Amino acid sequence: MSVASRVPFPDVVLPVSGLVAAVACWWGLTAVLALPPYVLPSPVAVGTRLAENPGLYLSNAVETLRKITIGGATGIATGFVLALVISEVSLLRRAIYPYLVAARVLPKIAIAPILLIYLGVGFGTAVLFVALIVFFPVVVGTAAGLNRAPDSHLDLLRSVDADPIRTFLSVRLPHALPDVFAGVKQSVTLAVVGAVVAEWILSNDGLGSLILVASENVQVDVMLASLAVLLPMGLLLYGGVSLCYRAVAWR
Amino acid sequence: MTMISVENLSVTYGDLVALDDVSLDIDDGEFVTVVGPSGCGKTTLLRAIGGLESPTTGRVSVDGDTPEAAQSAARLGFVFQDHTLLPWKTALENITFLRKMAGKDPDPEGARDLLATTGLDGFEDARPSELSGGMKQRVAIARAIHLGADVLLMDEPFGELDEITRDEMGVEILRLWRENRKTVVFVTHSVPEAVFLADRCLVVSGTTPTAGATTDDGVGRIVGEFDIDLPRPRDESVFGSEAFGTQVARVRQALHGDE
Ligand SMILES: Nc1ncnc2c1ncn2[C@@H]1O[C@H](COP(=O)(O)OP(=O)(O)O)[C@@H](O)[C@H]1O
Ligand SMILES: [Mg+2]
Repeated sequence: MSVASRVPFPDVVLPVSGLVAAVACWWGLTAVLALPPYVLPSPVAVGTRLAENPGLYLSNAVETLRKITIGGATGIATGFVLALVISEVSLLRRAIYPYLVAARVLPKIAIAPILLIYLGVGFGTAVLFVALIVFFPVVVGTAAGLNRAPDSHLDLLRSVDADPIRTFLSVRLPHALPDVFAGVKQSVTLAVVGAVVAEWILSNDGLGSLILVASENVQVDVMLASLAVLLPMGLLLYGGVSLCYRAVAWR
Repeated sequence: MTMISVENLSVTYGDLVALDDVSLDIDDGEFVTVVGPSGCGKTTLLRAIGGLESPTTGRVSVDGDTPEAAQSAARLGFVFQDHTLLPWKTALENITFLRKMAGKDPDPEGARDLLATTGLDGFEDARPSELSGGMKQRVAIARAIHLGADVLLMDEPFGELDEITRDEMGVEILRLWRENRKTVVFVTHSVPEAVFLADRCLVVSGTTPTAGATTDDGVGRIVGEFDIDLPRPRDESVFGSEAFGTQVARVRQALHGDE
């Protein structure tokens, strides 16, 4: 019998033990080597930073979350609608789709300075940037998915003269959902990255700015405290999307 | 009374002549099988009758109207080789789904009864992935009957089943046909199956020796037509009978030409 099967709740206990061990190593390292806090603060110091001023981290986290959700939702909705349009209009599809696929290799982060020139610093610019980053995987995934329904299923509906909206909702959309959600899952990760980058370049608030300012002041503890807030936020968002997908998935 | 009428139907795909000047009439309630080698145009014929393929020349009518009108009236029930069940729907939902798509009044009672009479009792909530190949085709057939179609257009529906299940399904489809009295056009590449099921068996050939065809595929024509007068109702015992063997041999001969 393996070790894992003798541990109660191995799915919870083992990863938690891993985390505890990692934090303990980190703590041990800082204590034994007596590292100064500007090189590597101990986990206790980071925890203290968080505890001293939770309002600061919370309000910045809310700002970042707003960019992620508003920008993310905008990008996802736009991507979905454009995918719908190009899947219906084959002329458009052939003219645009190759570039949408190709654009995935373009580092979208490079667009941020361009947005800065045209739109300046602000919440709107940051949201637009997040939306732009999120848009591509969604449009490509959805467009591929909407093509996924086998011809025989479409023939079946044609044989009873089903109207296009019914055909879309009951056959083409369900066939597309796995691809749509694959795109959305990718975009959640990208939205978090996008929001942080946006807060470096395109706006002055949020956890991203907090990290940037702390970096300028060599406050490693503040940076780590910010990351400690950012990480669970990203995980929760990703988990939320995965749960939504589970609820509608059939594959 | 004529239910399906095909007049001088030709269908071409570019240079390929899939069907060449086919004419036939099918009576109301008749069970017609179409047998031929693969690529000879059987599917094309069935799809043209069902309005999924438009004739290049010639016409098709279903009960005196266009196939498109028959589609709108939900009078055509297709059963494809690929069962075309929606993987996210249960067996029962798959049966009721097409009727709903056709815009007809729901009939949940009817669907449940049908599920029972097609041997799917206890499987109403099973997804297609939990059903065997034969059961999936039963659901697909039940779906076409539940639609309320007058004409069943079946394209090698048992083509992917093993031979034993295939024979069982043949008996089953005859029983359903007896109870529901549909007009059936049933495409197959199995001669015994074609003979076992049919009132009338049409032999389609892809090659036309007289025309000096250069390709194996295409140029589908009806090269033989056989009234199958085996007594009904038929069951598995028919397979062993002498009359059955004779009919099969005649159809085979038509398929392979006069050698
Ligand atoms: N959509 C299509 N486009 C081009 N060729 C086709 C198409 N559908 C069928 N064919 C060709 O027409 C011929 C008859 O096909 P089909 O009716 O499917 O034959 P069968 O069902 O008897 O196997 C074949 O040679 C096939 O390749
Ligand atoms: Mg075929």
